[in-house]
Amino acid sequence: MNATDWGGLATIFIAAGVEWVEAFTIVLAVALTIGWARATGAAASALLVIAALIGLTGFGLNAIRADFNIIRGGIGIFLLLFGLRWYAKAIRRTAGRTRLHDEDAAFARTRDGIGGAEARVAWVVAFKGVLLEGLEVWLLVVALGQTVGYGEASAGAAAALLAVVAAGIAVHRPLAAVPENALKMFVGCALLSFGTFWGVGGLLGETATWPLGDATLPLLFVFYLAAGRLIATLVRQSLSGPRGARA
Amino acid sequence: MRKLLQLVFGDAGNVVSVAAALLLAWITALWQPEAAGWVAAVALLAAAAWQAAR
Repeated sequence: MNATDWGGLATIFIAAGVEWVEAFTIVLAVALTIGWARATGAAASALLVIAALIGLTGFGLNAIRADFNIIRGGIGIFLLLFGLRWYAKAIRRTAGRTRLHDEDAAFARTRDGIGGAEARVAWVVAFKGVLLEGLEVWLLVVALGQTVGYGEASAGAAAALLAVVAAGIAVHRPLAAVPENALKMFVGCALLSFGTFWGVGGLLGETATWPLGDATLPLLFVFYLAAGRLIATLVRQSLSGPRGARA
Repeated sequence: MRKLLQLVFGDAGNVVSVAAALLLAWITALWQPEAAGWVAAVALLAAAAWQAAR
């Protein structure tokens, strides 16, 4: 594995970690209502669906005999679509236009939402919560796995899951101390960097558009990170009066 | 299915932003291919600033 692969793997690990933290909060809230056995059963069922999706799409994409540049271009465009939203949301949160994601508040909301509900309803809440967060992990594993390797990408996502579960078991409460927005900014910059590099390179020719080759990736990352901070500062300054933070 | 499409593509503004950035890169590549990628990066920054400010 080269430096680009390690960068892709680190992106998957961090992005998956952020999604698993949010899923863990939901499962924890449900577990305190219907018990750990049922809540973890719901989470495990959703994870099985995600694992099956990763397996199926990985197998399907490997079977496609398309030009490497076309595949890279397609994955690059997907990463741009996906990464631009992560990036813009992270900027909004850094600028104070959107409230930071609060795991304690999400935990309380989930508990309120399922308070007094039947066990079956609570089970569905846990299943859907893990499935929705897991779908984002699936998309990232499929996109970055094309270059990093599906086995490695899946292992990165699984390692993030184990790390979050281990931390959750250790603290036994929502993982509110995780600096989610800083991690989301990192992931947004990484996804945009890979997306720009592969999208433009795949569609217009990598050697012509990126004469520095893989060395461009860290440059793009630093460019997006520095510009993101600058934009967040400008947006924060443009906010007039107390109408800033909104949900 | 709708949720999945939204996960992949985002809203219309997101799709238009990415399409515009790639179009600008393609136009730039006709004259100055080595600048095309960075033009796309700057266009994406502008799109992110717009999404963050709206």
